[in-house]
Amino acid sequence: GDSWGIFTFLCAALCNLPALPALNCSEELGAGQSIQQTYDLTRYLEHQLRTLAGTYLNYLGPPFNEPDFNPPRLAHAERVPSATVDLDLWRGLTDNARLAANYRAYSRLLCYLRVLDGQVGTAELRHRLAHFCASLQGLVLSIGGVMSSLGYPLPAGPPAPPGAPPASNDFLKKMDDFWLLKELQTWLWRSAKDFNRLKKKVPPAVVTLRLEARGF
Amino acid sequence: QYERVGADVTMKCGSMDWDAAVTWTVNGTDINESHLNGSYLILKNVDLMQSGQYSCYEGSSWHLKYQTYLRVGTPPKEPVLMCRSNNYPKGFYCSWHLPTPTYIPNSFNISVIHGTKEMVCEKDAVPKNRCHIRYLQLFSTVKYKVTLTVTNALGKNFTTLTFDEFAIVKPDPPESVVAKPVPNNPRRLEVSWQNPSSWPDPESFPLKFFLRYRPLILDQWQHVELSDGTSHTITDAYAGKEYIIQVAAKDNDIGTWSDWSVAVHATPWTEEPKHLTTEAQITETTSASTSSFMAPPTTKICDKGAMVGSGAVAVCWTAGLVVAAYSVLFI
Repeated sequence: GDSWGIFTFLCAALCNLPALPALNCSEELGAGQSIQQTYDLTRYLEHQLRTLAGTYLNYLGPPFNEPDFNPPRLAHAERVPSATVDLDLWRGLTDNARLAANYRAYSRLLCYLRVLDGQVGTAELRHRLAHFCASLQGLVLSIGGVMSSLGYPLPAGPPAPPGAPPASNDFLKKMDDFWLLKELQTWLWRSAKDFNRLKKKVPPAVVTLRLEARGF
Repeated sequence: QYERVGADVTMKCGSMDWDAAVTWTVNGTDINESHLNGSYLILKNVDLMQSGQYSCYEGSSWHLKYQTYLRVGTPPKEPVLMCRSNNYPKGFYCSWHLPTPTYIPNSFNISVIHGTKEMVCEKDAVPKNRCHIRYLQLFSTVKYKVTLTVTNALGKNFTTLTFDEFAIVKPDPPESVVAKPVPNNPRRLEVSWQNPSSWPDPESFPLKFFLRYRPLILDQWQHVELSDGTSHTITDAYAGKEYIIQVAAKDNDIGTWSDWSVAVHATPWTEEPKHLTTEAQITETTSASTSSFMAPPTTKICDKGAMVGSGAVAVCWTAGLVVAAYSVLFI
């Protein structure tokens, strides 16, 4: 009903960032170095997430903050593109597909995290979440930068609003949050491997000049 | 027939009456009548030594009326289970053992559940008590749950491990570690190694390395972490001292460090003396007059028999120069 409408509006508003092209500075550095920087960013975010997730799960309370908590995945909870992939498929991804998958995933994840930010209880958590969202935003831009410098088009506009209505009860809402953090964690692990692969394929010495696109 | 250690065992002689005259034997040896209650054999508080072939014979005819092989043992304690991925991203293996022996045959059953799916862990022929699984998917958010059940004639027990795909990654130690001195560099050692052969894809899943080294005479290790490459030059070795060197590996991003590699020993390059026996420490007490008649500053000063004492080759060489300097002064 009403809550569904508000949710969609919130998500659309918060996620309606223009798909920014590469920042000027990344073009000076070249694709190879941008990949290295993106890789470093994913490691930094993974480290940040560990603290954030610990705090957030404690805020959710038991059983979410128990280390052995291993709930089954409910079908409707698949809102975020999963990092899980068949091994051979993953190996066979083209550079474009690999980068695009990362870009789309983090854009969506950022969107959901921002909605979370608005609802969360304590000031400390809000502060941590805001900081994390800022870093995650940086990662999305960084990936976009790599894609642009390699000549790949950025994936289509702002992420689509979630297909399922928000959880109706408190426990299910907490489950959704739990899975969101899990997906984020898994994506950051996967990205490290994705960018390792990309590092090998794009030598650091490659410098791409796209002055013509800037209207020089 | 299986019985627990410490149990009381009563054996009946088949269909014989309680008051029949019988003889019991264990492994062919007669059993004292004090252990009998009528024709029943009573074994109190059995121990492992009492395992064996028990037979009951009718008194006069010596017909075999009953026979059983008694095996004394214990029900299984909780088994020890370990799972590890030394070949990421191919899969992982689990291995197990019992903390204490049961002395009777045990059977093991392992089940691996991933989310809602049950996966098959293929048992290895060698070593036994080990099985391996291939990953069907990578980067899974769902944990793996491995349950090992041990069963024997006297009972059963089990243990469970739950883990994320990433948590159990631990490569094997680096292989073919080689340490060599560097010619004309008394403080350097060149170390090189190879990726463990069990790691299937170092291109996409690069390893980083941890090197530790110390001279044999000291207890404290020095450490170097290397994010790529399979060689490193130590530049701060103590001259002339034998070193012990080890390397460990870890996936660049996930899991834990491998065990340390086999240790290698190496000594940095030192100047080669002509004669190593009875080297002398040329003392400054050698008189000026004798020094002026000394041979020019070559290693001949260290000729055996010329000096008595001990000292390093380096000292000998330096001493030769000192003597030469004195000689020059007194000319």
